[in-house]
Amino acid sequence: MSQIPLNHVFIFAIILFVIGFIGVIARRNTLFMLMSLEVMLNAVGLAFIGAGSAWVEADGQVMFILILTLAAAEVAVGLALLIRLQQQRQCLDIDALNELRE
Amino acid sequence: MSSFELLAISPQLIISLAIVLQMLLIAFKRSTRLIQSFTFICILLAIASSVFSLPALNSQITLLFYLDGFSFSIVNTILFCSAMVVLVSGNYLTISHEVHDEYYLLVMLVTLGALILSISDHFASVFLGLELLSIAVIGLVGYLRDRRQTLEASFKYLILSATASSILLLGMAMLYAYSGDMSFTYIEANLDNSTANSKLFAQAGSILLLVGIAFKLSLAPFHFWTPDVYQGAPAPVTMLLATVSKIAMFSVLIKFWFLSEQFLDQVMLTIISLIAVASMLVGNLLALKQNNIKRLLAYSSIAHMGYLLIILPVLSTSSIEFAKQSVLFYLTAYAVATLILFTFIAETSKSNSSSDLDNWHNWQGLFWLSPIQASAIILALLSLAGIPLSMGFIGKFYLITSALTNQSWLLLASLVVGSSIGLYYYLRIIFIMFAKHIPNGANAYDLSINSSLSHILLFSLTMILLAFGIYPDIYIFL
Repeated sequence: MSQIPLNHVFIFAIILFVIGFIGVIARRNTLFMLMSLEVMLNAVGLAFIGAGSAWVEADGQVMFILILTLAAAEVAVGLALLIRLQQQRQCLDIDALNELRE
Repeated sequence: MSSFELLAISPQLIISLAIVLQMLLIAFKRSTRLIQSFTFICILLAIASSVFSLPALNSQITLLFYLDGFSFSIVNTILFCSAMVVLVSGNYLTISHEVHDEYYLLVMLVTLGALILSISDHFASVFLGLELLSIAVIGLVGYLRDRRQTLEASFKYLILSATASSILLLGMAMLYAYSGDMSFTYIEANLDNSTANSKLFAQAGSILLLVGIAFKLSLAPFHFWTPDVYQGAPAPVTMLLATVSKIAMFSVLIKFWFLSEQFLDQVMLTIISLIAVASMLVGNLLALKQNNIKRLLAYSSIAHMGYLLIILPVLSTSSIEFAKQSVLFYLTAYAVATLILFTFIAETSKSNSSSDLDNWHNWQGLFWLSPIQASAIILALLSLAGIPLSMGFIGKFYLITSALTNQSWLLLASLVVGSSIGLYYYLRIIFIMFAKHIPNGANAYDLSINSSLSHILLFSLTMILLAFGIYPDIYIFL
């Protein structure tokens, strides 16, 4: 089995990351923003696994597990806020959150 | 782990244990007073236990942590700030009938995250500490759920801090891929500079890591969340965010910068100078037109973090120690002044109102109403502005000396310009406080503090500010 070059893994991870980043910036629906955040975090996880396998170390996979834990915790907090948003404003649009001005 | 290593991280261990005990305590008896005093005592114990980590200075504690004099002082400053936040939160929260025990749990989680950050020397521990800190902060920012604005603030903080974390992680992944090591000390030594390709990736990794840290430190151009979150969060939480989280993140930046020898890299130097100049100018210029005191302090914190970056470009390794010392002094000065201002805002606001009393018209004529508290605030503002006889002046003196020895003229020039703009809006608040008090019906706010605890707090914090301003030498002995 031929080895996948590290650069290719990274280019793929960066493409995924950019897709997630554009999602966070361009999407107005907060649920999709949370999903895009997941895409970004998973892209980073992929990069870590690629890097770990290139060095034949377990460190990359350890970091991936930590990232998974973070993603779960973040989504839990995010969804709780999402429910509060729905209750308070009856919509999930991020543009509804524009009251904090001077 | 040997007992030597366990003793070295005893403050962190005590805080972790305290979090577990807090949860047991909540299960046992729900009382706001009880858990507040328990949290406070645990933080005091952690401060006392830091004595045990003294013999372990300058040693590696497992792969994840490295303890040196700098992180030792940072740990104690963080614990001091959280102790203040716990004390101030008491009065702020007791107005409503709810039992606020989760609040103190979250404060302790933030403290633990910050403590882990300040001694970490490895990507994994930085990541864990950072997330422990930011997820707990998201919870705290949105804590008062009856207020409309907290939801907005916490949502913005959630989205932006998660984005920043993933950018930071991507940078870590790149550095790991091309150096094979995740410890700050060895990254640079092991970097594979053989091909242009790997060099490019490693450079990009360092830049992404820096961007992630800059986000959390709210440096321009990554500062957009700061004013909204400062304004929307409850006052004691803003206090925590402005002191504990900033101090911990800055210590990470210092470690990343000096341990992995980023200061030798010309590209990184240019980027950090640009960020520093942008933060000083943007922070100070945007603060000029703020009428909300919390927003104003948010912009001024952007500027202060920009000032601090001045010590990063060092010419020789011999000036690193001085740079760290300057950072410590300046961060302490900034933290004490911020604590005074937010203590006052938190004491005059109530958690069951729709927002804090942070419009600056509320402060009109404050000096004639309660001269002693007003003097404490004036001193804090003057210290932030860097006027002599206050701690901020000595802090700025340190920064300027550091900039002079390292010949960073551009940064020095923008520090001078930034400080003079800053003086304008700090003085503007002071003028408002001296203006004639107009007690008209709707605007008659109760600005008097009636708890003796907060009087003592304000007084002792002001004394610290003055003592270090007049005799900065005592800091050397500490």
